[in-house]
Amino acid sequence: MELNDNFSNESIADLPKLESQPLVDISPKYRRLNLLVTVVAVVLVVGVLSAVRFQPFIELNHGLKIAYPFSVSIVFALGLWSFVYHFFADPLIGYCLREQDISLQKGLIFRSLSCQPILRIQHVEVKRGPLMRLAGLSALHVFSAGGALHTFQIPGLEDDTAQQLRQFILDHKALSEGQF
Amino acid sequence: MSSQCSEPKSAQEQTVAVETGSEWRMLSYIAIVYFSIKNIFKTAQTLIYAVPALAITANVTDMLESPLAYLVFFGAITFLSVSGLASFLMYRFRIHNEHVEVRSGVFQRAHINLPFWRIQNVKIEHPFYYRPFGYSVVVLDTAGSAKEEANIVAVTTEYAEALKSQILSHQKSETSHNANSEPVDLEKTDTTHVNTLDETVINHRSIGDIVIHGFTNNRVWILLGAAAPFYDTLVEQVGGWLTSKGLQLDQLVGEQTIAWWQFGLYAFAIVMMLMAVLALLSVGGALFTFYGYTLSKTADRYIRRSGLLNKQEVSMRATRIQVVSAKQDWLDKILKRVNLYFEQNASLDHGAPELMSSNRLIVPSVTVEETAVLAQDVLPNCNLYRDDYKSINRRYIWHCFLVGLLAPFAIAMTIGIVGQHWDVIVGAVAISGAIAGIIVLRWWRWGIAEDEDYIYVRSGRVGLDYKCFQRFKVQQVVIKQSWFMKRRGLASVKFVMASGAITVPFLPEDYVWTLINSTAYSVESTRRSWM
Repeated sequence: MELNDNFSNESIADLPKLESQPLVDISPKYRRLNLLVTVVAVVLVVGVLSAVRFQPFIELNHGLKIAYPFSVSIVFALGLWSFVYHFFADPLIGYCLREQDISLQKGLIFRSLSCQPILRIQHVEVKRGPLMRLAGLSALHVFSAGGALHTFQIPGLEDDTAQQLRQFILDHKALSEGQF
Repeated sequence: MSSQCSEPKSAQEQTVAVETGSEWRMLSYIAIVYFSIKNIFKTAQTLIYAVPALAITANVTDMLESPLAYLVFFGAITFLSVSGLASFLMYRFRIHNEHVEVRSGVFQRAHINLPFWRIQNVKIEHPFYYRPFGYSVVVLDTAGSAKEEANIVAVTTEYAEALKSQILSHQKSETSHNANSEPVDLEKTDTTHVNTLDETVINHRSIGDIVIHGFTNNRVWILLGAAAPFYDTLVEQVGGWLTSKGLQLDQLVGEQTIAWWQFGLYAFAIVMMLMAVLALLSVGGALFTFYGYTLSKTADRYIRRSGLLNKQEVSMRATRIQVVSAKQDWLDKILKRVNLYFEQNASLDHGAPELMSSNRLIVPSVTVEETAVLAQDVLPNCNLYRDDYKSINRRYIWHCFLVGLLAPFAIAMTIGIVGQHWDVIVGAVAISGAIAGIIVLRWWRWGIAEDEDYIYVRSGRVGLDYKCFQRFKVQQVVIKQSWFMKRRGLASVKFVMASGAITVPFLPEDYVWTLINSTAYSVESTRRSWM
């Protein structure tokens, strides 16, 4: 029987282990931005509510007056929840770029780590909202055939990092070979 | 006009018959019917949005009685037939120099020029009004957008078959030609061009099978949808019929003239009657879509053909199948039948009705043995009904109890006990008991297994679903873990496929990591395409 020189079939004792890879933190600015946005939003909404409640021009009806303390406390509660969540959860967001895939870990009580092989990426976007632009941050959106529900998003990256990641994915051998 | 229709069918003359020369041809007169019906559907589709508005502003029955309605009605009929005639008159086609060319459209003219080599698939459709006259529609699929699809609307079936075999044999010769000159391209050309020539039927469903399918699956909507305009009249008629039999519905419900058990008996009888009618409708719906079902296989495709009045055809590239899933409801379990689905990319044609959509190919109500055979045809050596499924952890039950059931149960019980409403207490206990039973069943069914090539997931409540997919087709893998699960060393895994995500919760954490690492390795090291 003729042997094929190229053939190799050694046993793989150790698969590359994702769980032991160190994660890279996203920019700390992301947490600061989120906390700031939460505070500003709460102050704004409570401000508007209070302005309506205590303005001297129109007499409000009884129901609206009773609703005021409730709505203010709901806004405060939501704001507090969002503040506490971002305070603890944002530093836990981390990503890990390996030769063949990119992973993202996130979540406070429900932690998740998703792993996106670069081979399966269909396209990449760097997105920057107005507030993110002010803070010099970008988000990397990675799309696969898994559909819009499973878009892989890394938030709060420094602009340069996001561009580098995007370029790394675009230049990747797996994609440039046209096999996706 | 249709001189090509009467040509004899010998192989030599077929090529002569197919080629129309440089002159443009008209279709057979029967095409007027086709165009008219198509235009009716198109108009109906655009008008369907206006229906709710009409229904709210006017009483339909009143409108039908006014003379204006007749005018509108006849106007619509005339318009549609004239438009059918116009479409017919404006349609020309020719098959020349291995190109199919079609000119069509009344106001918006379109000229499609389709070289044979770009045609991916040739479908021949037989609308029911064509069948007695032996005509067919030839649908030419390209890899590109639906706009580039060409239909030759009315040719004789012989001509359609001749055209089909010529296009496909052309592709075959091209393939072998390419294989000789450019061996590098062989694989690519093979998958795109070797086509429907050697088609073998690998499964067909008898009327008995389809009747079973109608009983076990709810296919009511197929007929109910078609009957929607007649609901009002139907309700009136049934009401009238019941009244004539001395049964006054209002009386029954409104007044306490009869004992509660009598009322219960009536209600039971009516429910049973309704169920029987629905079951019959469902069987009718199943027959309507699946009559004469065949599943055939070509070199690289699976093709489903079925339908009572209109033959439908759904074809799917074998390589594009992402997941094979075998679903069994409780009724299917009793009758030992399985619905088998081949699922492909879900992002293709959104909104197409389930049975028509080209991203899911169904084989209705096959037996368990046939399921195993068909599944292995798509995924060689896969074994859906294996006995080494790893069950998920028992804590899943507690998780569901605590997260989903506890709060509503506690609230209902508090209300019941404080207000001394015994019915509420009994109801809460009964419903919670039923839900708890379903949760336990769900835990019991849910499991995962794997072998060298495939990952298998078993799930279900009373019914049983099996799913199988190739590791390398996974798009993304996710591990999820709550703080409590981490403490117990448990985790959930989610495989994102092009056809949708598949989740298995509450597995040992180490095992999930192995699954994730091996899946990622399989995708990244084999580098095989998921398409």
